Amino acid sequence: MSDVSPLEMEVAKLIIRTLTLKVDPAQIQPEAPLFGDGLGLDSIDALELSLAISQSYGHQIRSDDPDTVATFASLRSLCQSIEKHRTK
Amino acid sequence: MNTAALLGPYHADRVLAWESGHPMTYGRFLSDVGTLADLLPEKPTVINLAEDRYRFLIGFAAALVRGQTTLLPPSRAPGALAQIAREYSNSYCLVDGSEHVEQLPSYQIPKGTQNPTDSAKVPQIPVDHPAVVAFTSGSTGHPHPHSKTWGSLVAIARSTGARLGLKTSDQMTVVATVPHQHMYGLEASIMLPLQHGMAFHVGRPLFPEDVRLALAEVPSPRMLVTTPLHIRACVTARLRLPPVECILSATAPLSSSFAKQAETLFHTTVYEVYGFTEAGSLATRRTIDESIWHVLDGITLHQESAGCSLHAPYLRGPIPFPDLVSLQGPHRFVLHGRGTDLVNIGGHRGSLSDLSQKLNEIEGVQDGVFFLPDDTGASVTRLIAFAVAPGKAAEHILSALRAVIDPLFLPRPLHLVPRLPRNETGKLTREALLGLMQDLQKEERHGI
Repeated sequence: MSDVSPLEMEVAKLIIRTLTLKVDPAQIQPEAPLFGDGLGLDSIDALELSLAISQSYGHQIRSDDPDTVATFASLRSLCQSIEKHRTK
Repeated sequence: MNTAALLGPYHADRVLAWESGHPMTYGRFLSDVGTLADLLPEKPTVINLAEDRYRFLIGFAAALVRGQTTLLPPSRAPGALAQIAREYSNSYCLVDGSEHVEQLPSYQIPKGTQNPTDSAKVPQIPVDHPAVVAFTSGSTGHPHPHSKTWGSLVAIARSTGARLGLKTSDQMTVVATVPHQHMYGLEASIMLPLQHGMAFHVGRPLFPEDVRLALAEVPSPRMLVTTPLHIRACVTARLRLPPVECILSATAPLSSSFAKQAETLFHTTVYEVYGFTEAGSLATRRTIDESIWHVLDGITLHQESAGCSLHAPYLRGPIPFPDLVSLQGPHRFVLHGRGTDLVNIGGHRGSLSDLSQKLNEIEGVQDGVFFLPDDTGASVTRLIAFAVAPGKAAEHILSALRAVIDPLFLPRPLHLVPRLPRNETGKLTREALLGLMQDLQKEERHGI
């Protein structure tokens, strides 16, 4: 995990903490899918994660965003979305 | 033959469904149902997987018109669908996307016509027709089927509407976060609007911001049909929602603290609906006012030696409560916990749900649950509790608990966790709690 930005590391830790995942943050590949085959997250995880992100970064995630599917596609895309919309 | 109409008061121009701000009328709906009913194959049962609430309803209604029964699989997991497909092999699937179920033919539900016929007649459906089959998980690992007659669905929709004081003239619009393929979703987001000349939003918002946008897309007055999980999310996100007349919550107990916050934040009234698969929705309460549940009109409660049961004109016979309740006369009861939740610690009997509820009432606790681990061989197996309480110390929660529960029931230990392993419907299975406990024990051993 050599090319990981500080924000990506921070959000990886947030995901693990929020969802009580049993993985090392360094094991989350920034380009790997978070849902389905990747970390195997479901819609309730997404709901929990959206809350944690709104509390930490002030970014309200929504499903019908044009780049929606994109947002939760991977750690990297999630961080790009946070970077773009964050208010704190 | 005794029949009940497919829908309540019929006005062709009245809106039934909203899709991205675009209205679809009752007139168009009847035309869409008629068109699809003619196209359906000649089979007794159908699995309707449509995600869009309007297209699900067209499929559901067309099946009713053809005398067919809609199966409501317990989950969309391929394994669960395959099991239903094996047991109801002469079925077909209705879909609005690319879903399919192995071994069953699939048919797309068309988007519908833009030109409703004016002369549509409201179909009459026999009240004893098995409209849907819902499933509970049986002890054998096989889903156990529960057939619901059209008459029971109509009766429950009408009595729920009467309880909530819904008037046809209100033309309220429902926004629902719950799937219409579950009993509560079907009752509250499909049958309730259909029988009261109301409308619904075709989508199923997930994130708090989605809920806000969906509510903003429909006209006032609005009703939000949802779960404690979504209410907690909306409250925590401090959303500014468009005006919502009332919020309906079911699937798990809602803490009065979140109900209060939701009422204050969204200037609304929060009702809870209680029901179970065998009987459907059967009672309501306004969460902030009282812990007593009031049964819907037509239902009576009976105390029998084995436990409590309920009677209703649309049920074939008395149905026992799966949960522990105490009756307050024939029409009111207090819910003490799930029947399987009874525990005996050192000779003291208690209910895990009851204890969990007390844990959830503690200030600062967002979510919490009590749990009895497997027998460890110790003289008394103690309860374990998990709580989500950011910023609170375990000692603080324990001392608050000590004030409200029998000390024998105090958790040893109380684990503070960031989140409980709730499943898709917000429920906590014993397996998930055991998994969480084992993970925590492993962490402790490794000194993480």
